[in-house]
Amino acid sequence: MLGLCIVVGSLLLPKALFGDPDGPKYFPLLVGAVMAVMSLVDFGMEWKKRRENQGLSARLKAGRAPRLLIGSILISLVYSFIFEKAGFLVSTILFLGAELFLVNGRRKWLANILVAVLFTLALWYAFARLLGINLP
Amino acid sequence: MDLLQGFHAALLPMNIFYVIMGGFLGTVVGMLPGLGPSAGVAVLIPLTFGMNPASALILMSSVYYGAMYGGSRSSILLNTPGDAAAIASCFDGYPLAKKGMGGQALAISAIASLIGGMIATVGFIFFIRPLANFALDFGSAEYFLLYLFAILTITALAKGSMVRGIISMTIGLFISTIGIDIQTSVYRFTFGIPNFYNGLDFVVIVIGIYAIGEVLYNFLTIDVTKAVKGAEVGRVWINKDEWRRSRAPIFRGGLLGFIVGVLPAGGATIASMMSYSMEKQLSKHPEEFGKGAIEGLAAPEAANNAASVGGLIPLLAMGIPGTATTAVMMGAFVMIGLKPGPLLFQQNQGMVATLVDSMFIGNAFLVILNLVLVKLLVKVLDIPSGILYPIILALSFVGAYTLNFSTVDFYLLVLFGVVGLFMKLLQYPIAPMILPLVVGKDMEQNFRRTVSGDHGNIGAFFDSPISIALVVMIVATLLSPLITGWIGKRRKVTKS
Repeated sequence: MLGLCIVVGSLLLPKALFGDPDGPKYFPLLVGAVMAVMSLVDFGMEWKKRRENQGLSARLKAGRAPRLLIGSILISLVYSFIFEKAGFLVSTILFLGAELFLVNGRRKWLANILVAVLFTLALWYAFARLLGINLP
Repeated sequence: MDLLQGFHAALLPMNIFYVIMGGFLGTVVGMLPGLGPSAGVAVLIPLTFGMNPASALILMSSVYYGAMYGGSRSSILLNTPGDAAAIASCFDGYPLAKKGMGGQALAISAIASLIGGMIATVGFIFFIRPLANFALDFGSAEYFLLYLFAILTITALAKGSMVRGIISMTIGLFISTIGIDIQTSVYRFTFGIPNFYNGLDFVVIVIGIYAIGEVLYNFLTIDVTKAVKGAEVGRVWINKDEWRRSRAPIFRGGLLGFIVGVLPAGGATIASMMSYSMEKQLSKHPEEFGKGAIEGLAAPEAANNAASVGGLIPLLAMGIPGTATTAVMMGAFVMIGLKPGPLLFQQNQGMVATLVDSMFIGNAFLVILNLVLVKLLVKVLDIPSGILYPIILALSFVGAYTLNFSTVDFYLLVLFGVVGLFMKLLQYPIAPMILPLVVGKDMEQNFRRTVSGDHGNIGAFFDSPISIALVVMIVATLLSPLITGWIGKRRKVTKS
């Protein structure tokens, strides 16, 4: 389970070596080394008591959690992709609406749509009009 | 420091408006679960674009201490602290509210916060000058060690293991090395993405980890945690007897909070916890604590606010943030074009005076806000989480966009949201990662300057008395878990 941070730690080391002259690489190298050593220590400590950590995957799979997590991440990625193409108003209304339907449920559709549209308009007004920030 | 002149600037209608707006937004942000002070300050940074520096400073600070006020509203009424610093306010605040004394609890917390904040502001005036002068003597070796010490103390005090704290720290330091190296213009870890050339924006990371990570984390339990009905709020005021009981604890809490807040890595969470246990030990009837003792609410509330004002001292005088939130504040200052540190005082005296005066005004305003409008404010807590979380997500994205006008930041937000989720799940402390994001670049430069000034010799870190003292403190911090573990074992042995 904690192999993840070992991977990060060891991936870091070869990359840290990659700076050209000597100057810029010492510090990342030091940081990478400390990270790798500490990850090993942490891994060793975790290994001893690995039984305790089995609750983690159970928590990630409980109830609506997987649907909400994966759904939200996907919606966010789509939002990132269309934000500049579709413009702020359209994409944010869609994003907020999709999130609301996902989290708040389909039965409260009227509230969801109202919140999505009104909140987006309020945000747009605050940023574009009051603060003079350009939104696409 | 010319305080009178400062008042002149602080009392400009525009600046008063910013104090009030910042305090209000801060309170709301602090109350909401899922948006603590760190993420709150980060999301609100775009508001300051285009303002003059003094106004921006005033706004950010008022958001900051407003969030500290807000955090305890939900502690008292719902038993869910808005941020870690407000945990101690749950112990007696919620029992008080359950007894039907919610109004008194809110009132005492507002009054205690005011007095705590005022004590700390007065202390601020006295201590910030000497500290800034002291910091002028610091060379690059001292600065590097001081940064390291601040981060390690946070690591040692954070929940979870020291080892994991250090891993978090190295992640933060690593991220800070992304971008073009300042000394040699070498591209480091940019993966050929132009947006990475100037480094990753720490605000994006903070919003990702704190706001988005927190929302994702809450999704895990969204169906388990039922909507809590807020306790009834009665008359928001206190009588003479209650004031008599809480007077001394407030002043003690305020003083303690200020001292703890000034220490690097002290912070409001520790201050409020310490003052709670201090009052419990001093009290003639400790058995009432935890069941709604008004002293048990008054002291940590005063300490909490005093510490958050106190925390601004090392930040402004030395450029050392003591907590994740002050680290975000420091980043905000840098974005505005103010570099916190001793030079800030030489160059921008008037601005600092204005800030101090605005803190007096802000604290006074927040009490009025919290006493008069509190019934309206707590309505925010009634927003169903199904609507609140999507709104926080949207706000995070738009807030992040306005920083660089680039959707590359959106992908980073999602990435760090997931990172934040897993760090929380695996109990990796987050604060040790946030701090290096802000000071990491300075740390590296100071490190390299020290080492190259001494021809690659590490001995340069032991040259002055200050740096030797810092090295000793760093070693002690690193060993502290071992020492406390050893003492604990010995106690067990002697007991058996």
